[in-house]
Amino acid sequence: MPAPLEIINARKVFRTPEGGSLTALDGVSLKLATAEFVTLLGPSGCGKTTLLRTISGFETLDAGDILIDGTAVTQLPAHRRPVNTVFQRYALFNHMSVARNVGYALEIAGRDKREIRTRVGEMLELVGLTGLEKRTISQLSGGQQQRVALARALAGKPKLLLLDEPLSALDKNLRQKMQQELKALQRELGIGFVFVTHDQEEALTMSDRIAVLAHGQIQQIGAPSQLYQSPANLFTADFLGESNLLPVALDGQSARLGDGQGFAVARPAGAATLLLRPEALGLARPQGPALSFTGVIRETYYTGKDHQVALETPAFGTLHALLRSGSTPLDLGAELTLHAPADDLHLIDEVAP
Amino acid sequence: MTLARRKLLQLVGLLGAPTVFLLFFFLCPLLIMLVYSFLTPGLYGGVEWQFSHLNYGRILGWANTRYEKFDPVFLSIFLRSLRLAALTVVTSLLVSYPAAFWISRMSPGRRDFAIFLVTLPFFVSLIVRLFAWVLILRPTGFLNQGLMGIGLTSEPIEFLYSDFAVILGMTYVFIPFMFLPLYASIEKLDVAQLEASSDLGATRFQTFRKVVLPATMPGIIGGAIITFIPALGNFIVPSVLGGAKVLMIGNLIEQQFLSARNWPFGSALAMLVMTAVLVLLVVQLRLARREEAS
Repeated sequence: MPAPLEIINARKVFRTPEGGSLTALDGVSLKLATAEFVTLLGPSGCGKTTLLRTISGFETLDAGDILIDGTAVTQLPAHRRPVNTVFQRYALFNHMSVARNVGYALEIAGRDKREIRTRVGEMLELVGLTGLEKRTISQLSGGQQQRVALARALAGKPKLLLLDEPLSALDKNLRQKMQQELKALQRELGIGFVFVTHDQEEALTMSDRIAVLAHGQIQQIGAPSQLYQSPANLFTADFLGESNLLPVALDGQSARLGDGQGFAVARPAGAATLLLRPEALGLARPQGPALSFTGVIRETYYTGKDHQVALETPAFGTLHALLRSGSTPLDLGAELTLHAPADDLHLIDEVAP
Repeated sequence: MTLARRKLLQLVGLLGAPTVFLLFFFLCPLLIMLVYSFLTPGLYGGVEWQFSHLNYGRILGWANTRYEKFDPVFLSIFLRSLRLAALTVVTSLLVSYPAAFWISRMSPGRRDFAIFLVTLPFFVSLIVRLFAWVLILRPTGFLNQGLMGIGLTSEPIEFLYSDFAVILGMTYVFIPFMFLPLYASIEKLDVAQLEASSDLGATRFQTFRKVVLPATMPGIIGGAIITFIPALGNFIVPSVLGGAKVLMIGNLIEQQFLSARNWPFGSALAMLVMTAVLVLLVVQLRLARREEAS
């Protein structure tokens, strides 16, 4: 079975109004497994939207190829590609009813009216908007418009659904609800989803795999837990979740931190960076080898079940920790020692400049 | 004072002045015209306060007295005016629609300049601009000399004093009226909607027919109405570029008031134009309502 989407070495360079050039895609390759939910994650300007637009056909590639279901579509105009898009601001047709919006792809394809009506009914049921066929777009709430956009994009049975930050205009509660629904919908439909977002939390929740993009290149691609626990480079470590990045020196058998603490690790000698996630730091000293950091509490935020603590240490500057709320008082200005177990630590073969 | 009362007073305060203004300077003159159109013309201009339906009879067919006779020429002039005004709407739409599209896609600075250029003709007297067209269109004018120069024709073509010249002139005069409402609706057009349409499988032509045209229809209708109404009653363009050959209803009304001094008949003709415009507006309103309902 061919991959629903395969991108081979895609390149795209834009001319800037000042006459310079901007490399939006710099040799991007990506292959989707059947019915996979892949998220393109990155800061604005990283090329994720450009990548999505080259898949839908709104941008042409300067080099490289795009295959959908094993067929090259690189030279096809947008209207002949078997993919549909859910747009960032939905781009619904304001002059049409909900039903005509949803049935648009079928209307264009020249299907008969009864078939369209049936399909529109199914689609509205799928997104939970049954009975709103006759409404105009302006009579819908933001969340409902979002669903209409989704139903419209799915009505034509695309082989691949592209979603361009579709949840960014919704408020937080609705966004979380839609995240779950989207994921469930994708499982039910069994088609590939390519989802673009700059929201890392959204990416972690929904995706089978995440592709982290920066400077027009895929920095790392993998399952959310893999990316979070063992990022391949500093960019991914920093972009995905909160992180404490500590430079270490390697001598072949062990690693040594700036303040002299060390732990055993079998790696070639050189320099690297240690990743300590905030939740790895704790108040209790673990059994076995551990790293300890003593400093002064500069900030604390209570989040319900946790305390976020910013600890200023002499050797490493500010460390961020996420501590279970407990009996220990966390007063600003107080001295505190935090510990992290010194086994199974993740090192990144890259040193911050 | 209750809130409702205060709101009412505010409304009266806001709308009072314009209402009084419109009553005195718009509705009253109109009512005077309506009354005059049913009176007998005075011997030396003005009116005599005696009821007469013959002013309308002269236009519509039942007048058959010694002085007041039905003449089909009035109706045919009226019909010609309707035709020329409609053609003016069509030609200015055909010119303005692509132009508005083009300008709406420009960078902001160039866009403002382009819109300024569209409104620029308003800064020069209409009469002067129309006489410029006479210079261009007359047998020894630029256009004919150019055509003969490149050998397309050996003798000058009579552009001037024809339907063509009148439609050309009116199109020229009314393009800004058509352009501005069109531009307003085209500029609001969401580019993402066009992309969505092609994403869903529509060709450029299908996108135009199903998304662009319906979305800009309010601008088209608005532009058509505010072009059609002044075009229908226009008398300056036909008198400069149409000469005696292409008389429009506006010229006829002007003659009745200023030369023939038959105010009641002029008023009756003006009422005829008014009726046509009102019928048009009602039809448009109905269509818009039906569109909203569906």
